[in-house]
Amino acid sequence: MRYDGARLADFSAQESEGAPGRMDLSFFLLVLGLLAIGVLMVLSSSFPRAYYDPGRVTGGNAAYYFVRQLVFAVLGVGAMLLASRLPMGFYRRYAFAFLLLTLVLLALVPVIGVKANGSRRWLGVGGLTLQPSELAKLAVILSFSVMICRYRERMRSFRWGLLPFLGILGCVVGLLVLEPHFSASVIILAVGAVMLFLGGVGIGWFAAAFGAAGAGLFVLLTFFPYASSRIMTWRDPFSSSSDEGYQIVQSLYTIGSGGLSGLGLGGSRQKYLYLPEEHNDFIFSVCCEELGFIGAALILVLFALLILRGYWIALHCRSRFSFLVCAGITTLLAIQVFFNVAVVTNLLPCTGISLPFFSYGGTALLIQLGEMGIVLSASREILET
Amino acid sequence: MFPVNNAPPAVSAPNRRMLRRALCLMALFGVALFALLLARLFQLQILEHERFERLALEQQLRDAPTAAARGVIYDTHGQPLAVSASVDNVYLSPAEIQAYGEDPALIARGLAEILGLDADELLQKCGQTGSWYVTVARKLEREQADAVRAFKNENNLRGVRLETDTKRYYPNSSLACHLIGFVGTDNTGLEGIEAQYDALLAGTAGRSRRMTNAFGTDLLFEQFEQFEPGRDGCDVVTTIDSTIQFYVEKQLRQAVADYDVQNGAGAIVMDVNTGAVLAMASLDGYDLNRFLDVSSEAQALIDACPDEEQRQELRREAQIRQWRNKALSDTYEPGSTFKIITLAMALEEGVVNEQSSFYCPGSVSVKGRSSPIRCWKDGGHGSQDLTQAVQHSCNAAFVNIGLRVGAERFYDYCEAFGLLEKTGDPDDPLTAVTGIDLAGESGSIWWSENTFCSPKNQSQLAAASFGQTFTITPLQLITAVSACVNGGYLMQPYVVRQILNPDGSVASERRPTLRRQVISAETSARVRAILEQVVGDPKEGTGRNAAVAGYRIGGKTGTSEKVSLEARTGIKQYIVSFIGVAPADDPQIAVLVFLDTPSNASGVYVSGGQMAAPVVGSMMADILPYLGVEPILSEEEAARMDVQTPALSGLPVYEAAKRVKESGLRFRSIGSGETVTDQLPAAGQTIARGTEIILYLGAKPSGEAEILPDLTGMDYGEARDALSYYGLYLRTASPVGETGRQRVGAQSIAAGTALAHGSVVTVTLIDSDETMLGIY
Repeated sequence: MRYDGARLADFSAQESEGAPGRMDLSFFLLVLGLLAIGVLMVLSSSFPRAYYDPGRVTGGNAAYYFVRQLVFAVLGVGAMLLASRLPMGFYRRYAFAFLLLTLVLLALVPVIGVKANGSRRWLGVGGLTLQPSELAKLAVILSFSVMICRYRERMRSFRWGLLPFLGILGCVVGLLVLEPHFSASVIILAVGAVMLFLGGVGIGWFAAAFGAAGAGLFVLLTFFPYASSRIMTWRDPFSSSSDEGYQIVQSLYTIGSGGLSGLGLGGSRQKYLYLPEEHNDFIFSVCCEELGFIGAALILVLFALLILRGYWIALHCRSRFSFLVCAGITTLLAIQVFFNVAVVTNLLPCTGISLPFFSYGGTALLIQLGEMGIVLSASREILET
Repeated sequence: MFPVNNAPPAVSAPNRRMLRRALCLMALFGVALFALLLARLFQLQILEHERFERLALEQQLRDAPTAAARGVIYDTHGQPLAVSASVDNVYLSPAEIQAYGEDPALIARGLAEILGLDADELLQKCGQTGSWYVTVARKLEREQADAVRAFKNENNLRGVRLETDTKRYYPNSSLACHLIGFVGTDNTGLEGIEAQYDALLAGTAGRSRRMTNAFGTDLLFEQFEQFEPGRDGCDVVTTIDSTIQFYVEKQLRQAVADYDVQNGAGAIVMDVNTGAVLAMASLDGYDLNRFLDVSSEAQALIDACPDEEQRQELRREAQIRQWRNKALSDTYEPGSTFKIITLAMALEEGVVNEQSSFYCPGSVSVKGRSSPIRCWKDGGHGSQDLTQAVQHSCNAAFVNIGLRVGAERFYDYCEAFGLLEKTGDPDDPLTAVTGIDLAGESGSIWWSENTFCSPKNQSQLAAASFGQTFTITPLQLITAVSACVNGGYLMQPYVVRQILNPDGSVASERRPTLRRQVISAETSARVRAILEQVVGDPKEGTGRNAAVAGYRIGGKTGTSEKVSLEARTGIKQYIVSFIGVAPADDPQIAVLVFLDTPSNASGVYVSGGQMAAPVVGSMMADILPYLGVEPILSEEEAARMDVQTPALSGLPVYEAAKRVKESGLRFRSIGSGETVTDQLPAAGQTIARGTEIILYLGAKPSGEAEILPDLTGMDYGEARDALSYYGLYLRTASPVGETGRQRVGAQSIAAGTALAHGSVVTVTLIDSDETMLGIY
């Protein structure tokens, strides 16, 4: 596919040295493959809950979640293709406008947000809900990329290389803490750190940051009983398998039940209301149960290939901005996948992180696919050999 | 502020450091972390697979027991005594009521109406939304269960559920209630045979394992169900003969009413040759189908109590009292009935024989006792031979006999008769049980060997010789007495003779268990001969009120004062008893009756000979013909028997008069016709010989009712004539003696009752010769 839209020609001319090339087909196909498996798993994992409808949401329609996810998947592929056609210069130009919009939306969440499970994380628009935190992740990547490109060698100084970035991170995370949204904060901090790392900030700062984070964690665990009980649950979920540990214990049952080859697609028993969030944060557990170690490993390998391909694209970008954006988005994807799988397997303490392309959630899927589209857009700049 | 994007764009490739760092990220996020995740998955899914699968299945599989049918309890002729039927339990699943949005108010109202329950309470149960199982009603009969099912289906209620359960039915209500026992709501046997044979009757419940969702209902597509079949319970065939049990309970109930017995009564009928219990009764009984309900008298007492807690306590006490099998669980001092045992051991040891003579001056001094032991008869029985000593139930003679046996031999025999078991420690108080296959048997209580056998103090031995200072159960007594008369064989009593598999085949058969031969067959025959004289001798036998015309019956009376109760409270209470064996020449059955605390107010002298002996006689009169034992009547006996009224209607007067005379009756006539048009009483009634009946010659019976007079204290002839004057008639189950000493002791219908002309009243005749009135 060649880019030849006249209206956007000026951006193209501004950014790219050569003519726009073809988008990276293997990256695209990996995304489509994971998306197809993900949507299928939403169908498999969600129908018992949709059918029994204990939360009185679906009206007993077993395909309720699946149909919605399918619609968003189709829309999302469209969004990805659209995003892949927009030149990187477009993203660069509107990066700060996007950041500003995101901050406004984040600021609105505590005011007019939809409350669920004790937190306000969603904005309701018509029948749809949107998590501005999803947008914030992309906004941080884009704006940091722009700034890193601008400050260039000054990145090694505190004044330029750290302070403005920390200012932005402070605003975003500060607003997220108001919701509160702990997991999104951690992801954004991690992504921000990775961007600075790529941008050339001195290693010493990272060492200092890790030290500070460690000390902060220690203080948190020592003085906040809530946090330390979280850790207790993490270390030994079976001691509280009927309350705090219930979710993770059920997840371990689910994953462990799968064995080598699994119970077969659709064969999960744990999804029959034993495992909470089975079509959402814990959808990967159902994948493990139904598809076994072989299937789960295959999914992880597909994710790994996608991520490696993302970095490969980044490394081959001729523009520093595209490099930073691709590497950032790929890292964001990798962090989300790792955190999600690490949580459902109890490698990390339980917190709510969705699995990209798999977890139920329309707008998040839309945004994730849009991000993939941006990587694909960058891939067009790579000269074919 | 953010930097303003107005500077020329910096277009440059990433520098080396950026690329190097990106490669680091690639290695970390693209390879290292995934390797970690894969390792973790390998650990969970491969290494710990079995553990997690087991834990998951544990919560996914629901075990539901499938009820095994409880076995039937049969009487010895195959009549069912206890059967099980399928019933339904109703329960709510409040979690599902909530999940499916069903209307709790509708459910509460509907169930309240069908089951007669409190709607508010049901509404409250519907609100326990954390639960999937809240019991509403148990063991519903078919009609109610069907109504609930219809209500459930009509309104498509998933939160209202039924499950199958079994319920125990006892077709004979209270008959043999203490033997049969009952089961609790969980179908576990709690009393009697139901408890003793619970494991066999219950069988083993099967299991069904279902894969379920977290609500406990089936999965949508994967139907997984696994059955482990259970085994139905075995049937139990008892030695109980329902007919004999019925006779025994009927007569015992009559006695309790006649003598206003305060503390209940009991009776045992045993096959003397096998130890099989043919009947065992304990009053008051209860309806097995409503074993929690207490008698109306007890209920009235409970209702009168103002305090709820006390009411419950009273209720519990009344229940425990009515469930207690006195024949098995109560111990008592057997009193003079025990003289049979003393007699048997003395004859076996040869320390006395039929020619021995005993002199009774009215009391006897015993070493170690400050006051002499008094015989029940003031002034004493004088000189007697052995048979007379037993006939008179002479305490002085039996003290003498006991002393001749000696304490050590006495205890050895008691042990041999199964009344005590030595422990090896001479200071231990001694006890024993018969080991019958029934729950709740109490053990006897005896002095330690050292106390009993002390050469310095013979008072224990002396009192034990006539059945005082130790306690045993009625069952132990009848078992030991059976051994005395059956040839000397002590049998282990039992009530279950066969276990049947669910398919009806015999699983096991109980053979009579011989514990040991205690006395020789010859001694046993001599004991029988003497016992027959106690009942059969109408002049000297203190047990003569147990006689049944045409049958040879042996027996012994007993009247035991509750000594420890008197010592404690000063209240004198008696247990009167009688043990009979028949036929005396070749015994088949032994019958023991005991009445705990009869009232002084009945008009009958409180003693075994006056009160318990006639009851045993009535039972024998019912049971022996039923068992096919033919009566052999002497002419004199036959001449005193009640007679049957002939059919006279339609006969000419002279012919009727002839037949009346032939029947041993008299008549008077009403009307002036030539032909008998009607008669009172009707044809085929058994009435007292010599009764004046009424022949109607053209006239009609008036059909009026008469008030029944009090007959007690009259002799049989007086009572007969007093009644026939009113057009009422008399019969008796007691043998009518040759002398006029017999008096009416009790009547089947209470005095003052209005009776239609022609009704027949049954009376008990008691020989109350003054030589018999005493505590023996």
